[in-house]
Amino acid sequence: MSFLKIEDLHLNLGEFFLQEIFITLQQGDYLAVIGPTGAGKTLLLESIIGFWKPDRGRIHLVGKDITDELPEKRRIGIVYQDYALLPHFTVYENIAYGLKKKEKEKKRIREKVNRMAAALQIDHLLHRTPTTLSGGEQQRVALARALIVEPKLLLMDEPLSALDPQTRREARSLLRKIISGSHTTVIHITHDLDDAWALANKVAIFKDGKMMQFGLLQDVFHCPTNRFVADFVGATLLEGKVEERKEGFTIIHVDDFHLVSLDESTIGESVRVAIRPENIVVCKSIPKDISAQNIIRAKVEEILSEGTTCVLCLKANHTAFSVFVANNAVERLDLKQNDAVYAVIKASNVRIV
Amino acid sequence: MGIRALRKISFFHLSFLSVTFFITLLLLLAIGSLFFVPSWEDVAQNIWSPEMRYSLRLSLITGFISTALVMLFALPIGYALSRFHFWGKGFVKTITDMPVAFPELVLGLCLLLVFGSTFVGDFLNSIGLNFVFTRKGVAAAQFFTALPYAIRIMKSTFDYIDPRMEFISRSLGYSQFETFFNVSLPLAKNGILASTVISFARCIGTFGTVLILAGGSYMKTEVLPITLYLNISYGNMGMALTSGIVLMVVSFLAIFIFEKTEVGF
Repeated sequence: MSFLKIEDLHLNLGEFFLQEIFITLQQGDYLAVIGPTGAGKTLLLESIIGFWKPDRGRIHLVGKDITDELPEKRRIGIVYQDYALLPHFTVYENIAYGLKKKEKEKKRIREKVNRMAAALQIDHLLHRTPTTLSGGEQQRVALARALIVEPKLLLMDEPLSALDPQTRREARSLLRKIISGSHTTVIHITHDLDDAWALANKVAIFKDGKMMQFGLLQDVFHCPTNRFVADFVGATLLEGKVEERKEGFTIIHVDDFHLVSLDESTIGESVRVAIRPENIVVCKSIPKDISAQNIIRAKVEEILSEGTTCVLCLKANHTAFSVFVANNAVERLDLKQNDAVYAVIKASNVRIV
Repeated sequence: MGIRALRKISFFHLSFLSVTFFITLLLLLAIGSLFFVPSWEDVAQNIWSPEMRYSLRLSLITGFISTALVMLFALPIGYALSRFHFWGKGFVKTITDMPVAFPELVLGLCLLLVFGSTFVGDFLNSIGLNFVFTRKGVAAAQFFTALPYAIRIMKSTFDYIDPRMEFISRSLGYSQFETFFNVSLPLAKNGILASTVISFARCIGTFGTVLILAGGSYMKTEVLPITLYLNISYGNMGMALTSGIVLMVVSFLAIFIFEKTEVGF
C-alpha cells in the first residue's frame, strides 16, 4: 500500500493551476519537487495540506481519502520559505504551539520542546522573539515547530533558498540528519538541484502546472523523458570514494576512473558527484597543454540530434554519461558511433553533492 | 553645480510646500480660534451646566456602546471581505461602503424610514427596540455612520496579514475559529486599535444621522453635536463653543492614536 497517493489532481486558481498530477510515495520517501517559478509547486503543497479544494482528483494518505478532510485533521506539517513564524509568540511558544493542542501537561510540553530545540541547535534562542533571529535560526525554528507534532507528512516550500550558501550547506546536512532520524515522509520544493541531490530519493519536475516527470532520483537525472527535464536537471551522477586531498583539490575514485574536483571533502568518504552535460568538452585526440584536470577516454555509444544541439551518450568502461554539443561540432569532428573520444571536464565542474 | 541643483529642487519644493503650509495654517487658525475666542471662565462654567453634563454623559455612553457594537460587526465582516471569495462580494462591498459617501442626513432619513414604518421596525419594536426619537436611536445612528469606516480599516488590516500564518496554525491542528482568535486577532492588534479609535470619534461626532433618526430634543436625545447645534440656533455661543472644544479634543486624540498605529485606510 502506498503512503501518499495523488490521483489525477486538477486545480485552477486562474493565475496558477495544476493539471493531471499523479504522485505515489512510500513511507520514508523524500520527494524533491523541482521546477521554474510559477510552475504550480506551492499550489501542489497547499492542495495536499488542504488549503485549496481540488477541482478534480483524489488525495489518499495512509490508505485514507483525505480530499475532503479539514486541514487541521490531516496531520500534515508545513515549512514555508519565509518561515511564517508567529511574531507575537516567542521562539518557545512558536515551537510549543502545535503541541499545546494535544498535550495538556505543561511539563511534558517543556521536555519535548527542549529536546527538539537541542536537536536543532536552537535551545539558546527559546526566549527570543522571531524577528530578532537570523534566517538560518528562523528556518530551524520553523522546522522544529512542524516536526514536534510528529506529522505524518512534512511539506517544505523552498526552506533553504533564503539562506546564504554557507548556512544553506549546514542547514541541508542538519535537515538530512533530522529527517533520516525521524523517518518522516517529506515533499520538498526547491529550485536548487543541490537540495535534490543531497536529500531526495524521488524527484518530480514541474512546468506550467503540469508534472513533466516523476520517479526515482537516479532515473529522472539519468533518463530524462523529455527535453525540458533534460535541460533542467540532466546531469550525470556518479558514486565514488574520496582518495586524496592535494593542493585544494579532491581526488575521487569512481568505478572506472579518477575525477579531480575543487569541492572539499574528507579522505575515505563516499560521495556522489554531479557533472552537467553542457560542462563537458569532447576531443577526438588526446588534448595537450590544457588547463582542465579531468581527461577521460570514452567511447561514443549513441548520437541523438535535438534541433541545434546533440546529445552524445558516452561510455568509459562501464560508466555512462551524456554530453551536450552543438550540431555542427558533430560534423566538424566527424563523430560516429563507437568512435573513441576524450571527455574534458574542469575540476570546478565536478561537483560533490 | 550643487547650487543649481539646489535651486531647481527649491522651486519645485517651494511651490508644493507653500500650498501645503497655506492650508495647514488656515486649518490651524480655524482650530485655534475655537480655543482662543471663548473666555476660559465661560467654558469652565458651561462644562458644569446640567445640559452639558447630560450631553457629555449621553455622548460617552452611546459612543462606547455603539463603538463596541461596530467592532463586533466590523471584525467578521472585514475578515470575510479580506479572506473569502463568495458570490456577490463586490455588491456587498459597495453596499457596506456606501454610507462613507452618503450625506449623514440621507442615511438618517433611510434609517428613520426602515425603523419607523416597515416590518423591520415593527419587529424591533415588538422586542423592545424602538430607535425612532429615542436614546437607543442615537446609538443606532452612530453605529451605522461609523460601521463602514471600521469595516474598511479591518479589511485592509487583514489584507496585510499573511494568510500563511493562519495556514500554519491550521496545519498544527487548530480549527478556523481557534486560528482566528490565536493568530488573526493578535496580529490585527494595531488595526483593531485604530479602527476602535476612529469608530469612537465618528460615533461621538455623528450629527446628521442622529438628528434625523433620534431627533435633537433638549436633554433627551441631546449629544455633543446636537448641543452645539441647538445652542448656535439660540445664539448661546458659550455652550456651542464648549461642546465644540470637547468634540475637537476627542477627534484630535483619535487621529493622534490612529497615526501612531500606522495602519492603512
